Amino acid sequence: MDDLDPNEYKIGKPERLFNLTCLLLHYQEGLTKNEILRAIPAYAEDYVEGGDNSSLERKFERDKDTLRHNGIMVEAVIPKYEDENNQVSRYIIKPETFYWPKELKLTPRQLALLNLAAEAWAGGSLSGAATKGINKLRSLGMLSEDDGILGIAPRLSSYEPNFREINNSISDRRVIQFDYRNPKTGEILTRKLEPWLLRRVAGQWLVLGYDQMREAPRNFMLRRMLSGVTIVRGSQPFDPVDPKKVDAAVQDLEELAAKQVAIIKVKPNTEAWFRYQLDLAGPGTDGKVELHYYDPYVLAEQLREYSHQVQVLKPDTLAQLVKSGFEKVAEHHA
Amino acid sequence: MPNSNFKDSDRFNLMLALTAFLVDGGEYRIEELVTHFNAPEEEIREAVRLIGFTELIEIYPRGPYQVDFDELNQGFVSISFSHSADLTEVPRLSPRQTSAIVAGLVYLRSLPGLAEVGEIEELQNILASGINREESTLEIDIVPGSIDADLVIVRDALSRGLSLRCDYLNNRGETTIGRIIEPLRLEPTAEVVYVRAFCPEKQSVRSFRLDRMRQVQVLEDRPIGEQARSAELNDEIYTPSENDLDVVLEVEPEAYGLIHDFKPAESPEQVSKYVKRFTVKIGDVRTLGRIIARFGGAARVISPPEAKKAVHEFALEAISGKPKRTPKDAE
Repeated sequence: MDDLDPNEYKIGKPERLFNLTCLLLHYQEGLTKNEILRAIPAYAEDYVEGGDNSSLERKFERDKDTLRHNGIMVEAVIPKYEDENNQVSRYIIKPETFYWPKELKLTPRQLALLNLAAEAWAGGSLSGAATKGINKLRSLGMLSEDDGILGIAPRLSSYEPNFREINNSISDRRVIQFDYRNPKTGEILTRKLEPWLLRRVAGQWLVLGYDQMREAPRNFMLRRMLSGVTIVRGSQPFDPVDPKKVDAAVQDLEELAAKQVAIIKVKPNTEAWFRYQLDLAGPGTDGKVELHYYDPYVLAEQLREYSHQVQVLKPDTLAQLVKSGFEKVAEHHA
Repeated sequence: MPNSNFKDSDRFNLMLALTAFLVDGGEYRIEELVTHFNAPEEEIREAVRLIGFTELIEIYPRGPYQVDFDELNQGFVSISFSHSADLTEVPRLSPRQTSAIVAGLVYLRSLPGLAEVGEIEELQNILASGINREESTLEIDIVPGSIDADLVIVRDALSRGLSLRCDYLNNRGETTIGRIIEPLRLEPTAEVVYVRAFCPEKQSVRSFRLDRMRQVQVLEDRPIGEQARSAELNDEIYTPSENDLDVVLEVEPEAYGLIHDFKPAESPEQVSKYVKRFTVKIGDVRTLGRIIARFGGAARVISPPEAKKAVHEFALEAISGKPKRTPKDAE
């Protein structure tokens, strides 16, 4: 494809957006819509002088949205002498909103840490956004070959198809809905939530927010969502939440974990004995371990891995949960 | 078509980043840019080509950026620009890009010994002031798991390219005293930390669980060997082999995570409203017991019979409290 016939070459979207960005950065007094449509080759090829350009205008509007999602703000300004006449809006990208602030310098070590932070998403829910972000920062300079960071591949990735949508709705303060299975009863209900914060607790992703059905803050485990997450149709963005409320709800969950204690007994010299570090506990240990937990269903899963090596002494409900799980598995595989 | 849009915006971002990087006038080998931007060579070439094609009618009839296409064909990249080119500095990040990286930082903070808390917080502040938004609230938070002191020792060995000695408990519940391994990479995951290491005795790369190591010690006089240094590490903890058995699994949403863990070659089939079915390669069916049983019914083996039997036995042994047999070849 070295010899492109200019008449056949179709201008792609990345090129169009790039041209638009260069153009709007260049004219600091701004350009009218028609001036823009005539100056960008991808628009100009469909532009009809003095004719109907409404589909082209819609394309321009969509491109502005795409730029906004990429952190580039296209602003419409109306020159003072034109009063409120928005027919003569001029579009600009203000350099101060476009360029990374000059005073924010990054050391090679900082860049390497940011790189590692972005790579933690590899293959995961926010991998696309993280890669795009870090690529911009990489143009600030070379990465350090920092010995302390080499050889570590932290992975945040997990299979959470709803993660990105929830994250976006937190940024945009949109009310979401999803079908959720109650682990206790198995009942499936459609829940409406004003999402505040995504948290990973004990290896599980939770979304904390205001539950409109219970009229109180609640946590939902992403794994238990049975449907996709959608924005509630016709709903308005909710008001910014008071950070104190979020902190209080986070604190509530921590207090629950502090209060909920399980006691297990571990068989000596098994894998579980090692896992719960009883080999380090000294010869006098009775093999009992206290575990604090957020969610009995998650703890039951972890304990099931150790099969008969652990026995739940307290509470009974947890012991039952572990056992009934095994019974179901035995039944399914009989 | 969200996929193709996604790709478009990736390419657009790369064009912005490359331009800001290359306007300093330097010449780079294309491989350097591939490493630096962690992007495929084809994408770098295409982005550079498109930057060179930029034209704005009336302002820059030749385009603001000139790319030497002959040099590009030979694998060298540089751009020159007219004095009035505008994209001369690094663009800001979008709030979403920022929040993804901040979440990664929050995660790094939860890993002990990697970076000072103050260092991470400073980076969070830098990122927060780099976006176009007045309020910047935390959207993602990660609660640190239990801290393993040995992590710091393993990191020390890794950074200095030295071997480790430790006592290691394998899957069979046997402890090898004074096992020597040559660490290559630390892989913290949601529940456990894996150490990928070359085992000189077994002559291959293996995954070790940090929580099963004891008496971890750095061997000052034993740098890792040539074989370890040239060992290839792929992203999977488990690499399927040709002798593996095809096992069909069904999962409810609560166990969809298994699809991510196993990464089946073919995408899962939706067999009912909530249930997905997929096929995975398993080396030893006896390892399936714990993997399937932990979900307490949300995951099940459909075939073959020997795999079903292995899970059945695991569950029965757990209920009766009798010891189970364990795989012979797993670490």
